[in-house]
Amino acid sequence: MYIDFLIEAFTANKDKEAIVWQDQSFSYGWILSSTQAKLAFLQERLKPNSVVALEADFSPNAVAVLLALIECGCIIVPLTDSVAHKKAEFREIAEVEFVITVTINDEIVIEHTGTKVEHEFLLHLKTEKRPGLVLFSSGSTGKSKAALHDFVPLLEKFKVPRHGMRTISFLLFDHIGGVNTLLYTLSNGGCVVTVNERSPEEVCRSIEKYHVATLPTSPTFINLLLLSEAYKRFDLSSLTLVTYGTEVMPESTLSRFNQLFPSVRLLQTYGLSEIGIMRSKSKSSDSLWVKIGGEGFETRIVNNILEIKANSAMMGYLNAPSPFTADGWFHTGDVVEVDGEYMKILGRKSEIINVGGEKVYPAEVESVLQLMDGVEDVAISAERNPITGNLVKARVKLKTEETIGEFRKRMREFCKGKLEGFKVPQKVVLVDTTMHGERFKKMRKE
Amino acid sequence: MEQKIIGIILHEVSELNEQLDHKVAIENGENAGLYGLTGVLDSLGLVTLIVAVEQAIEDELGLAISLADERAMSQKNSPFRTIGTLADYIVKVSQEEA
Repeated sequence: MYIDFLIEAFTANKDKEAIVWQDQSFSYGWILSSTQAKLAFLQERLKPNSVVALEADFSPNAVAVLLALIECGCIIVPLTDSVAHKKAEFREIAEVEFVITVTINDEIVIEHTGTKVEHEFLLHLKTEKRPGLVLFSSGSTGKSKAALHDFVPLLEKFKVPRHGMRTISFLLFDHIGGVNTLLYTLSNGGCVVTVNERSPEEVCRSIEKYHVATLPTSPTFINLLLLSEAYKRFDLSSLTLVTYGTEVMPESTLSRFNQLFPSVRLLQTYGLSEIGIMRSKSKSSDSLWVKIGGEGFETRIVNNILEIKANSAMMGYLNAPSPFTADGWFHTGDVVEVDGEYMKILGRKSEIINVGGEKVYPAEVESVLQLMDGVEDVAISAERNPITGNLVKARVKLKTEETIGEFRKRMREFCKGKLEGFKVPQKVVLVDTTMHGERFKKMRKE
Repeated sequence: MEQKIIGIILHEVSELNEQLDHKVAIENGENAGLYGLTGVLDSLGLVTLIVAVEQAIEDELGLAISLADERAMSQKNSPFRTIGTLADYIVKVSQEEA
């Protein structure tokens, strides 16, 4: 009953391609019958409304199991290898009763944990016999929090027909963006193209081979794509839309990509594990100004911080206090600038660096330094000091053989006229590791 | 040792001077004012210089020292008044470290 609208869409599109996985194609007809088979299979082995960890990545069987679990009213905890070292902890936090593993060969293994569910939110969903979804935040700004959703309101927006495209499932299976890509694409008759690894080379190869039209990704990955020049080795003419979110886009990266791909529309997305993905509209492909909202979402700005009220908001965290105001607004922690209907996201309030009373947004400084020749990656963070409170520290990955002194001199010259004095990093550290995690999101903390 | 440190500070000051409208008078050598009564640096300039000097001391002398900390701030006489007072302070801190 929960997935009736998907069943209808699958039936209508049964001869169309739904998923490309390991260079094989699977039709909507296949997904439909596989989902029904999985439903019967799971009903025999699981109690309905169980809390189930789904340890998988995008694969035909993982998708069928996911849909079948929704239909069984289960509370689903998707986990991918990107959180391998935290899986045990996450299972415990979510009070997982069953673990379903979809192996790389697409085989299904079920394991009973013996855990007893005690959390009131989980018990509430179980009593109401409603499906749920637990998403863990990446923890790039602290401890991973487990957001519990009632799955029913999350599904609601996919019932409105939209344009289905051939889309790469770049964002992860256990990420709100990945879940969104999957449900959006499948409910609209598009095709999910899965990739074995999220490298620029592999992503470009898949775009060329499977005529992909949409790439939902992150600014960090777009930057890697530009640096690798992988786009020069493949035909990307099928690409019409690139969406980016999860972190602030450096202006320099956006403008460079837009110059290289003038016919590709660039759309900024805005979504959070806690509230779901909103509808958004960028002012233009080279603009960071964006309009966000859509059916079921309200926004307001309090002290320059974006707050959101959403029908699809989570019930709460399983391992942290409620972040909602008494009347249900979610404080995003994102500082925004407003111009009429549009807003520009400047950065997380917690990441603003206060240098002698002046505010520095890491993304702005990173954006300028990334324009320098030889800079492969850069992450800006605060370092305490008793003179100005904090100083701006740049960790830089260089392609050149410069010494730190040579680079610092060149950086200061370069920043003249581009950044105010207090924003020019007072401290530079050279590193040779990458500065992003598995989710292609910049890790500013060391 | 002290002469070497003065050399390092002078080098870093001259690099920083390229960015400054009000330049530190390096022609005065050790007596050139940095921060305070006779100094021309603002707090940001001072922090930038100190971090650069810390880095250079580590690179060239292999000494990891911290100059901008509570201790420096609580000295009776600020170590950041002139190039000379800064050099004295660095010698003091590095001898204690050793």
